Amino acid sequence: MGVQFIGAQLFNGLMLGSFYVLLSLGLSIIFGMLGVVNFAHGALYMLGAYAAYTICYVCSQNFWFALIVAPLAVGVIGMIAEWTLIKRLYSVPHFYNLLLTFGLMLFVEEGIRAIFTPIGKPFDTPPALVGSVDLGFMFFPKYRIFIILVTAVSVVGIWLFLSKTKIGAIIRAGTDDNEMVSALGIDISKVFTLVFGIGAALAGLAGVLAAPVQNVTPEMGNSILNETFVVVIIGGMGSIPGSILGGLIIGELITLGVVFWPPVANTLIFVFMAVILLVRPRGFFGRARFFE
Amino acid sequence: MQKNLYKRLFFCCAAVFFIVLPFLTPTRSLATEMLIFAIFALGYDIVFGYTGLLSFGHAIFFGIGAYATGIVLVRLVPSLFLALVIGMALNLLVSYVVAFLSIRKKGIYFVMITLAFCQMFYFIGFKWTDLTGGDSGFHGVPRTSLGPIDLNSEITLYFFILAIFLASVLVAFRIVNSPFGRVLKALKENEDRARSIGYNTAAFKTVAFMISAFFASLAGGLYAVHSNFVPMDTLSISTSADVVIMALLGGIGTLYGPIMGAMLIVFLKNVLSDWIGNWHLILGAIFIVSVLSVRQGIFPVIFGKLKEKLCVQR
Amino acid sequence: MRKIFVALGVFFLMTAAASGADPVRVGFISVLSGPLAPIGQSELNATKMAVEDVGAVLGQKVELYSKDHQYNPGLANERAKELYEKDKTDVIVGCSNSAAALAVSDQAARHQRIFMSTSAGTTDLIGKNKYTFKLNYNDYMLAATLGAWGAKNLGKRWYTITSDYAWGHDLLKHFTSALKAEGGQHVGNDMVPVNTSDYSPYILKAAQAKPDVLVLLNVGKDAANSTKAAVEYGLKKNVKIMHALLFELDIKGTGLQTFAGDYTAAPWNWVVNQPGTKEWADRYYKAYGDRPTFMAAAAYSATRQYLEAVTRAGSKEADKVIKALEDSTYKDFFVSPGYIRPEDHLEVAKAYLLRVKQPAQLKEKEDYFEVVGELPADKAQPPVGLFKTLK
Repeated sequence: MGVQFIGAQLFNGLMLGSFYVLLSLGLSIIFGMLGVVNFAHGALYMLGAYAAYTICYVCSQNFWFALIVAPLAVGVIGMIAEWTLIKRLYSVPHFYNLLLTFGLMLFVEEGIRAIFTPIGKPFDTPPALVGSVDLGFMFFPKYRIFIILVTAVSVVGIWLFLSKTKIGAIIRAGTDDNEMVSALGIDISKVFTLVFGIGAALAGLAGVLAAPVQNVTPEMGNSILNETFVVVIIGGMGSIPGSILGGLIIGELITLGVVFWPPVANTLIFVFMAVILLVRPRGFFGRARFFE
Repeated sequence: MQKNLYKRLFFCCAAVFFIVLPFLTPTRSLATEMLIFAIFALGYDIVFGYTGLLSFGHAIFFGIGAYATGIVLVRLVPSLFLALVIGMALNLLVSYVVAFLSIRKKGIYFVMITLAFCQMFYFIGFKWTDLTGGDSGFHGVPRTSLGPIDLNSEITLYFFILAIFLASVLVAFRIVNSPFGRVLKALKENEDRARSIGYNTAAFKTVAFMISAFFASLAGGLYAVHSNFVPMDTLSISTSADVVIMALLGGIGTLYGPIMGAMLIVFLKNVLSDWIGNWHLILGAIFIVSVLSVRQGIFPVIFGKLKEKLCVQR
Repeated sequence: MRKIFVALGVFFLMTAAASGADPVRVGFISVLSGPLAPIGQSELNATKMAVEDVGAVLGQKVELYSKDHQYNPGLANERAKELYEKDKTDVIVGCSNSAAALAVSDQAARHQRIFMSTSAGTTDLIGKNKYTFKLNYNDYMLAATLGAWGAKNLGKRWYTITSDYAWGHDLLKHFTSALKAEGGQHVGNDMVPVNTSDYSPYILKAAQAKPDVLVLLNVGKDAANSTKAAVEYGLKKNVKIMHALLFELDIKGTGLQTFAGDYTAAPWNWVVNQPGTKEWADRYYKAYGDRPTFMAAAAYSATRQYLEAVTRAGSKEADKVIKALEDSTYKDFFVSPGYIRPEDHLEVAKAYLLRVKQPAQLKEKEDYFEVVGELPADKAQPPVGLFKTLK
């Protein structure tokens, strides 16, 4: 088991982690700001992939176009969902919204199944990114490097947005205490919608990136949602650095688990999550207020 | 005076309904399955509707009940009574441990941890092929006779389970209308206040959780006998989700709501999926509408409207 | 007056004849929704064709009842009960998913009706009970065919990637013993959860082990994802790939480029040179718009075989039909011929080695496979007694 092999696996874990980072970032800010556990997040990811499929194969545009448009489309869908449905349940116990997003997940998945048929859709790697790069110690597919780069850029972008812009400041404040923010006269409900849209767009982006490496099927969001929940809990719900760190850790954990301890690789993370929930529910970076 | 009349009418209708049901459904077997899930949902209402704990892990108890009953009947002793009891005893232990570890967590964290436990038990069941048959499921569960009663006939099995169902309803009714039940309602409304009065809320929540596990276990054991087979998905999250949907749609906190919700959903699942491929689409839509508007559940709303109409006519 | 009596008499005779009407009812269960739906649908189409082609048995029109089990064993159990009890079917044909098929087999024994198992692979169905007949492929056959041929022609160092569920485990068991029998080396295995999307960690491990052959013991989406990853990491450049099961629809869904050059085994394919194959495949294509999978062909063949046995037996009583089916040899485009062993109710027929063509080789639509070898029935199928027997 040489260094090359471990290196290759670690790099691979980084790619897997990238998806988790994008997804958990979205989930985390939605929970942090709105208090909504978005069970439909996997469905939004899946919508991103199908949007990309529609743009590239039905409308015959190129992948780069899809990369911009699809996440925006999913973001808009998310905002519409928030504005028309989710918003109504802020005044009742949180689990109603959880159940609503759960119902949305069922509905969206079945809807896509009805429109696009249950068979998976083919999605080829964009021609410019086919092939591998010789990194010295191994050949690494160009496309996977691309995924890592796009994720890094997006994360930096989100961070800049949140820390340098006025809306970003409102969002950060609202994540901490949204009653206070609306008491200051800011129309918090519009910000909520925007945040949900951003979270959805991030999920959609992950979906577009995933389309060439994973099968585009209506149920593609289900298992990744489970793992995303683990990431968010481990990283700390509502925490952005937590999502990033958590995503990368879980990506590596799953990949290395496959290498060293195959039978339990996938369940390992759930045990990990249960342990965290029992021992330190706030996760690495979360705030104590939310849960204990 | 009027209230008693309506109550008696309701019970009469219910009695007729249950007696006639197996002859109305496409197969007797479906009627039995409706009752089994009604028992499951009934117990679940106690922990979700009356105590306010949204558990996504109740498939654990249903599954353990089913597997334990099946395994005992096939490998240990062909006594249905013992098999069910062993399953319930095992579940009492498991539910105590799960509750102990989870109860203290609030809101969403409770949900997530029950979800995590469900995944873990599913995984254990999946891997422990020698015991459970793994992914193939556990086959060959017999229907042992109870004295002179031969349960191999679907009709006999239905009425046997109907008797158990009625007993369960009575027990559940007594529980929620007892002082214990009143404390549960109080702590659902405002746990801090209940605690400040001096109630050990954690203990009450744990007991409520264990009671619901008991019902789930019974339902699971009966399911194993009814199907002669325990499939892996009795332990799965989708079974957990099913009972949540049944309870919510039916109307949590009413006891009769989840029963009717369970029966309706089991019925539709079996009947509709033959005609309409995308049955889940409709279920998802109904669910969304239900959560948004008729949050109390379909049946309380229907009965509420009925009552209004009848009262107004007077 | 007499006319009235005659009229009444005729009327009573007719009603008597009509009430004696008890047509042969064929039940069908398979996966009709979800990602594997096209396979189940193709089986249903074929079964329908068979019922229509036969038309009437013992003077009555044959009826068909079909149910969807959604690839769920619990549901399959319920559906089987419904078919046998409510719809009073005399036989059930099909049933994919090994766990589901086992449940249906149990129900068949409980209700004392016949089950023609065509779509599930587990060898636990062989000799399970006297009501169950195993036709079409089984996991032993896939392993023996690919194993013998693969070890001789592709290489002796194998790395397996297995779907972690009942069927995968059964396949692994058979493939490893087939490899051993050929003196090959099993250089590694990975158990992968079903519906895994990213196979790159496993492919990297496989590459590390430097095998000659990568054996993919999975189906559908998992087959597609694992193959995609193998292509991506350049593994396909020096390693050959063998699939336990590969269908035209997988290739259609993912793209021929991904699967080009891969090997698989099957009891039949629409391009094999068996009499009647091209005609039937063309009929199916005209009626349904794509080429039939061997699952569909098996369903057609099994249904006709059953109906013919009923005709021969002169009754649809299970025991009589069982006697007519066992120890019989059947010949059609699918099994040419197929013999049902009385010891374990397994239908033995020969098996084919198939290879996926390169895109340049395509001549017609869905003409994805070419035949590269075949194995006679006695080599491809397990010997009597290797699995359960009925005596």
